[in-house]
Amino acid sequence: MDSERISSNSFDRDRHIWFLSMMYQLLPADYQSQEINRLTLAYFVISGLALLDSLDLVDKKGVASWVLSFQAHPRNRDELNNGQFFGFHGSRTSQLPPDDNGVFVHNGSHLASTYCALSILKIVGYDLSLIDSGSILRSMKHLQQPDGSFMPIHIGAERDLRFVYCAAAICHLLGDWSGMDKQKVNEYISNCQSYDGGFGLVPGSESHGGATYCAVASLQLMGSIEDDIISKDVQSSIINVPLLLDWILQRQVVDGGIQGRPNKPSDTCYAFWIGGVLKILGASKFIDEDALHRFLLSCQSQYGGFSKFPRQLPDLYHSYYGFTAFSLLKEPQLRPIFVELGIADIADIGI
Amino acid sequence: MDSDEEEQRIPLSQRPEWSDVIPVQQDDGPNPVVPIAYKEDFRETMDYFRAVYISDERSPRSLRLTAEAIHFNPGNYTVWHFRRLILEALNCSLHDELDYIERFAKSNSKNYQIWHHRRWVAEKLGTDAATKELEFTKKILSIDAKHYHAWSHRQWVLQALGGWEGELDYCQQLLEDDIFNNSAWNQRHFVITRSPFLGGLEAMREFEVSYTIKAIRANPENESPWRYLRGLYQHDTEALISSLQIPSLCVEVLSAKNNFIFALSLILDLLCHGFNPSEEMKNAVQVLKNSDSQPSDLSLADTICGILESVDPMRKNYWAWRKQRLAAQGT
Repeated sequence: MDSERISSNSFDRDRHIWFLSMMYQLLPADYQSQEINRLTLAYFVISGLALLDSLDLVDKKGVASWVLSFQAHPRNRDELNNGQFFGFHGSRTSQLPPDDNGVFVHNGSHLASTYCALSILKIVGYDLSLIDSGSILRSMKHLQQPDGSFMPIHIGAERDLRFVYCAAAICHLLGDWSGMDKQKVNEYISNCQSYDGGFGLVPGSESHGGATYCAVASLQLMGSIEDDIISKDVQSSIINVPLLLDWILQRQVVDGGIQGRPNKPSDTCYAFWIGGVLKILGASKFIDEDALHRFLLSCQSQYGGFSKFPRQLPDLYHSYYGFTAFSLLKEPQLRPIFVELGIADIADIGI
Repeated sequence: MDSDEEEQRIPLSQRPEWSDVIPVQQDDGPNPVVPIAYKEDFRETMDYFRAVYISDERSPRSLRLTAEAIHFNPGNYTVWHFRRLILEALNCSLHDELDYIERFAKSNSKNYQIWHHRRWVAEKLGTDAATKELEFTKKILSIDAKHYHAWSHRQWVLQALGGWEGELDYCQQLLEDDIFNNSAWNQRHFVITRSPFLGGLEAMREFEVSYTIKAIRANPENESPWRYLRGLYQHDTEALISSLQIPSLCVEVLSAKNNFIFALSLILDLLCHGFNPSEEMKNAVQVLKNSDSQPSDLSLADTICGILESVDPMRKNYWAWRKQRLAAQGT
């Protein structure tokens, strides 16, 4: 097959639906190394189909019950205070079978899987008020660190802006902010802003497109930043918006694509991470959307989906962020996106 | 493991030392979504891992098994966590563990779990590990000088274990290799502001300004040193607009009439902070104007925005918006 050939000159919805429905049925063996994040892979597929307005291909009840089976439940109220987080597991490999008494002793539930789980449930129309959100939120507090950041899992892991974002998204989806100290989160986010205006994953780290999305989307979800701040010409007390704006606009490079850091190649997914920040700030019109559109099409695969760079094989992650990027560009064949959650605008779907 | 080793892999079910263990299969449940087409060796390894994890067998053979499981799924934090429990239970040599991580990292360095594991080991070893950690990250960075995890780890090592003495030199080296390496510029800022051996940003500023100006002269199209230069005055705009070197540099770059976008943008920034431009600077800007496009009585800031709209068309809406806001700012 001629892999040099670009799929078409426009967004190829049918081919993407075909790609996702294949993945929905069975993921190739190459994905076994991502087994631990199976729920995230499901999120890419199902949320992708929602964006492509093809949720009819999904067994919504079946998906909901499958997702719910990953939830970690405390055996009693005391367990909620023993430092464990009771969220959702990301796969059966972190969720071991119950012991002889039918009790699940190994709790490997994770903030990122919880965000994916709740998002999927929301998308397939499951009523989130039926979930034991109290356990999720109360135990989530144990994951917040003294500096405001979040660890994703109580057995110990790295802590950075990604999990701050997951925590904020979880609170937003459950409509309850008791699971985090917002003030501390604001401080942590503020400390992650670099001298050049972008955000690093932790204080001191290099400014990065993904980290910047996590920072700004979290602030938006928490209501810590004014909506459409650029258009309203107001300042933020938490972050330096003009400095951020100047940095972020420079991320669009000569080929029309978006890079994650200065002097690095452009990559499909940053069209969402960076484009998403611009949308939240009300500054989408400040980049060249036509040029970006052309670049993204060059990453569109003839097999459906998107690749990281032009003329490579597609993968689920870059495919998903290709769809979200096109949704930000108001591609007519896609549903509008709720940018700070990174999923289709549920209100628009009518769920 | 490379493909040769994989071909020679003996299934666990055929290894005598595992004959007493009953593997535990994954219960995918009814209607599993996005099932993965697991290969047989992956499936079997995870089945045996589940068995020892559930029985909490913290033994040498379990340790070896975690390495096999990690090979298949390097992101599996459950396996890494259990490996840590075994290392503690068996009181294993942590230096050997660092060697294991280094071998593994050669082909799998872009996952968070391996770096978290490395940090866990280093933390246990304490300040003695500082040199080894700096050497290790240096090796990774020699393959990929912008490796995000390696840089994060290196910053953690410096702050938690020390070793700052050679860091500024290391940044210098990397920048000599590639002046466009934004990670190295970021690290330079990190060292300048946080090293207990240097005097802090203000004390270092003069030296850093000279260094950065040299870099900009060599490649004015390089965004990194421009951001770095501005960052040296992040909390001190008074010093920024009183600088003599910065306006001089900008004029120099403008006069070359090539790659001057960042220079114009910096001048605009200075003007917005109350900087008083020299006649020389005004002339240097005027020369770049598209002569018929704008009236000549505009302010310097207005003129700059106009030029930028034309020479940086990708961001023309941004520059138009900046121009609009000048009146409100009184520039």
